[in-house]
Amino acid sequence: MGTNVELSKKKNIIYSFISVVILCILLFPLYWIFVTSIKMEKEIFRIPPTFWPEVLNLKSYMVQLEIGDFNMFHSFGNSLIISFGAMIISIILAVPASYGIAKYNFKGKKSIVLGFLVTQMLPVSVLLTPLFIIFKNMNLYNTFWSTIIADSTIGIPFSVLILKNYFASIPRELEEAAYIDGLNRFTAFIKVLIPIAKQGVVVCGVFSFLYAWGDLAYGMTFILDQQKRPITAGIFNFMGQYGTKWSYLSAFAVVTIIPVALIFIFMQKYIISGMTSGAVKG
Amino acid sequence: MTKIKRWFKYDNIGILFVFPAFLYMIAFVGYPIIYNFVLSFQNITVRNLRNGQREFIGFNNYIQLFQQDDVLTKSIVNTLVFTVVCIIFQFLIGFALALFFNKNFKFSKPVRGILMIPWMIPITISGLIFKFMFGTDVGIINFFLKTLGFIGENIDWLTNPATAMPAVIIANIWIGIPFNMILLATGLTTIPAELYESASIDGANKVQRLFKITLPLLRPTIESVLILGFIYTFKVYDLVYVMTTGGPVNSTQLLSTYSYKLSFDMFKYSQGAAVANILFIVLFFVSLLYLRFVYSEREA
Repeated sequence: MGTNVELSKKKNIIYSFISVVILCILLFPLYWIFVTSIKMEKEIFRIPPTFWPEVLNLKSYMVQLEIGDFNMFHSFGNSLIISFGAMIISIILAVPASYGIAKYNFKGKKSIVLGFLVTQMLPVSVLLTPLFIIFKNMNLYNTFWSTIIADSTIGIPFSVLILKNYFASIPRELEEAAYIDGLNRFTAFIKVLIPIAKQGVVVCGVFSFLYAWGDLAYGMTFILDQQKRPITAGIFNFMGQYGTKWSYLSAFAVVTIIPVALIFIFMQKYIISGMTSGAVKG
Repeated sequence: MTKIKRWFKYDNIGILFVFPAFLYMIAFVGYPIIYNFVLSFQNITVRNLRNGQREFIGFNNYIQLFQQDDVLTKSIVNTLVFTVVCIIFQFLIGFALALFFNKNFKFSKPVRGILMIPWMIPITISGLIFKFMFGTDVGIINFFLKTLGFIGENIDWLTNPATAMPAVIIANIWIGIPFNMILLATGLTTIPAELYESASIDGANKVQRLFKITLPLLRPTIESVLILGFIYTFKVYDLVYVMTTGGPVNSTQLLSTYSYKLSFDMFKYSQGAAVANILFIVLFFVSLLYLRFVYSEREA
């Protein structure tokens, strides 16, 4: 049962086969939405369904370049702006904060850490109504800023808690060597410590981006113009109007998944470390 | 001047690093939480949102919400049912998968990695996919169930009050499995293999090893996975909103979706805030419980 136990060749094959079966079952929904997106409208509604399109149809994607009702690629761009914005704010604020928490023992530190921990578990519902009114008063309602700010409040606590472990693991001597070389606390932080904690910064960037990319509630509530809405809110709106237009809807879904899939392929190691350390260690 | 300098000399310099993030979070999280409480004691609707005439009405919103109809009570019950059923299945399936992928076969690491994908996908998209699959006439789920002979007639999953809740629960379990699996798998790797070896020398069979070694040693992980699962499931919003918007006839109305409906469909901001507060208070105490638990584990 332990990880070190070597399995016999036969068992190895059987287990590998079972794992592929599990994979196929659990990822079937994703396969299904992809296949649907490249079918003709008629074929989507055929019973019994086809598991690979008889006629390959890329029109659901192409048509997006022309129609103006809900422009998928435009919303995709909005989502990118919002997610990058939230990511940048999260990193700029969380990196110094986590360093301060990891390396200095000032008064009130414990309460601040506790505050970040509780924030991480906060439901979006509790912030929606007050932020809606606050953004209206600040004239940020219906701008990218509203959603960027709201999304970054998810990324910041997560990033602070992850990064503080990275900074804490850097030995004090390294910092002191930097001071001897003539750097002060701030330049040492920027030139020596951040480069060492680079991997942690990447994890935080990835997660801050993903949180913002997946957000629906904030984007839908704080941005009214379809032209400015992120892709998730745009899709939700489209579902309300053309709920049975599954050829388009499935194409939207695939396009929204693409960045997530790319991030996953190139950064799988970071993602799993972020998930486990963020949740268990706290 | 020297006094200020001395104050910043040592540990207090850390405050300078933390301050920007702290201020930001106070402005956009701390203040809104307090503001949400204030809102819930006022009577703000779309009519007096701008003109500033705000009346303090105490607990009237809360009382009214319970008295005007049974939607709030229903939302509370639904939220609890949703949370508990999701956690049980997510955990059991996640645990089974964690045990399975803990075996040292060739595909174990790569396949387990790929299984994380459902957790990362924007929930709006997962909701959309499951809405499509749970379709009455062309949904693939009805097709499978029919082909396998489980049902004769198509089930109208999302439009029937009796089956809408099971449908959203199934979708949410699918999202939650990877999270449970990876945390439990990480916990499993901390159990030394020698324990299992000496146990099997002593003649313990697989079931005995599971109950005598794995479960007791994994207890801290299991407990934190369950509490975290509760926190994350109790506040689910997007998935249900995309699949059913809380319907049909409030059969999938959760505290989160009901709060949204009150604030942004009916423009009763104060009532929406009150429902969000109920959600917040429950989660706040569970979060504290979790944190106390994590810290006591660490010190032990």
